[in-house]
Amino acid sequence: MNLFAKYNRILLLVLLTGLVAVGILFYQALTYTLNGKIDENLTEELMEVNDYAHVKNIAPAPPDEPNLIIEYKKAIKATKQHQSGDTTFYNPKKKVNEYARYLKADVVIQGQPLHVLILNSKAEQARQVQLIFWAIIIPVIFLCGLLALLNRYLLLKLWSPFYQVLKQIKGFNVKHGNYAVVDTDISEFKQLNEAIKQMTVQIEDDFKEIKLFTENASHEMMTPIAIINSKLDTLLQSHTLAENDSQALLDLYKATTRLNKINQSLLLLVKIDHNLLGEKEELNPAELIKQKIDNFQELISQRSIKVYCSFDGTTISGNKYQFDILLNNLFSNAIRHNKPGGEIHISVKNGLLNFENTGNTHALSESQIFERFYKDPQSDGVGLGLAILKQICIKQGYSLRYYFRLPMHGFELQLGH
Amino acid sequence: MKILIVEDEPDLSSAIKDYLTSEGNLCETAATYETAYQKISLYSYDCILLDLMLPDGDGLKLLKYLKSLQKTEGVVIISARNALDDRITGLNLGADDYLIKPFHLSELNARIAAIIRRKNNQLSNVLSFNEIGVDLNAKTISVNGQEMHFTRKEYDLLLYFIYNKGKAISKSAAAEHLWGDDADMADSFDFIYTHIKNIRKKLSDAGAKDYFHSVYGVGYRFSDV
Repeated sequence: MNLFAKYNRILLLVLLTGLVAVGILFYQALTYTLNGKIDENLTEELMEVNDYAHVKNIAPAPPDEPNLIIEYKKAIKATKQHQSGDTTFYNPKKKVNEYARYLKADVVIQGQPLHVLILNSKAEQARQVQLIFWAIIIPVIFLCGLLALLNRYLLLKLWSPFYQVLKQIKGFNVKHGNYAVVDTDISEFKQLNEAIKQMTVQIEDDFKEIKLFTENASHEMMTPIAIINSKLDTLLQSHTLAENDSQALLDLYKATTRLNKINQSLLLLVKIDHNLLGEKEELNPAELIKQKIDNFQELISQRSIKVYCSFDGTTISGNKYQFDILLNNLFSNAIRHNKPGGEIHISVKNGLLNFENTGNTHALSESQIFERFYKDPQSDGVGLGLAILKQICIKQGYSLRYYFRLPMHGFELQLGH
Repeated sequence: MKILIVEDEPDLSSAIKDYLTSEGNLCETAATYETAYQKISLYSYDCILLDLMLPDGDGLKLLKYLKSLQKTEGVVIISARNALDDRITGLNLGADDYLIKPFHLSELNARIAAIIRRKNNQLSNVLSFNEIGVDLNAKTISVNGQEMHFTRKEYDLLLYFIYNKGKAISKSAAAEHLWGDDADMADSFDFIYTHIKNIRKKLSDAGAKDYFHSVYGVGYRFSDV
């Protein structure tokens, strides 16, 4: 529920309850007053009856008034008792059933005790109540509507800095970091602005620092690795190495290569992040994939892997260098995790690249495989290949999806339309 | 050949110097921008190895200075910076090659040899090792004048060994030479073995001597003895 809906709901609830309560009170007061007036009327009428009885000593004929009925009944004994209240009755003068106030009393006329029932129809009163009701309710409803509109306008206007802030936070990208302070003279929003500004600056700084750290650390490691590498090369020239030294040398070479690979991969990730890898151009995926197959020929045939391709003439727009790395990683992944005698299926169709390979018979966790340094326990890679793949896809605007359809593990990339 | 090594890291500098000297080159080193500047001004070299990040200056400025002197030295940039911009700037300024640290000394040596050959032999560009001849322009191999069929990778590998003749080359260096960044692929060392086996067979079938010698199972040496 948004702010307006919530606010309006509460406002409406309060207004309605208030209106109903006021209505009930008002109605009660109005009927009480009007009833009092009718009762006064009735008493007056009774007095007239009494006066009439005393003066002329005969019961007065009911007056010529359609809302007033006076009935007499013989009584055994006259009491001083008066009784009044609401009732319904049949008005013979108008020939309809009506609500009325009544007054019962006893009078003695010519020594004869009589019950007198005076009825006063409420038809007139009902009309008055109705009139008053409409005269009040219509302006009130109108006012309520006006209030709601005004509220909406005011809320929109008052809260507009908040919505601007919200929009900016939603669109915030730590890599560009372009939070602009929203102009407002409301102190709460000013504080919010300040707080968010500080927060984003802090986030940007931290992010830059981490990136810089990764970059510097990787660069600083390059020289020591270069020294190890060159010293190993020098050591290898020695003619006095013992046989068991050579295994150590081989292991050192492998470890250095691996260390170098990790370092290069980290630097590559930083560079992709920095958009340092050049401009986009028109690429033909099919051509580039064929070149890659050629390049990886020994690796593929050594494991007796069969490669099946189906290409259409799709061309895409992308950065050649990044696309090259992307293909490298897809291939090295598909070869590395394949089984001897397995298969690789590659298809490019309508800008959709599918890259499938046989391998393990269980699916991998899609949420984990793209994480940095995640790798299969049996894998001898460094665990950055798929992270790089994903980073490139994000930067180049390709969608990337992993799927497992027995017996194939597949990656689906939407390269273009 | 006279080679100037401009590199501020003494350990790396000395390793390069030792390797290249044993190849029969005359090497000098410069650890700072200042020394390098003076040496470039005073002497001539066949090739200069240039580190871009020097403690007291930018290697690219040295390169500009060198080119302004109208000198014909070959220049190989050796840098830990693998930025596309640096590479393009460096090559645009007239560097002949760009090698990223860390590299194998055999790789560096092969690159230097290729540059020096390019600079010196403009017309005939055939590199020979006893009965084996490598035509660098046509990218073909011949034995006793008889042209042979070599795949591109076999050609690259043989040329690499000939440039580094007499040196032990690790399988890892050879794999990196052939596959570059993808050299860490599973079992890539075994492919070197397969390639060498094929090259050996082709050469011996054509009547050449077997010059490949295994070195402790770590690599190979291509030499006469």
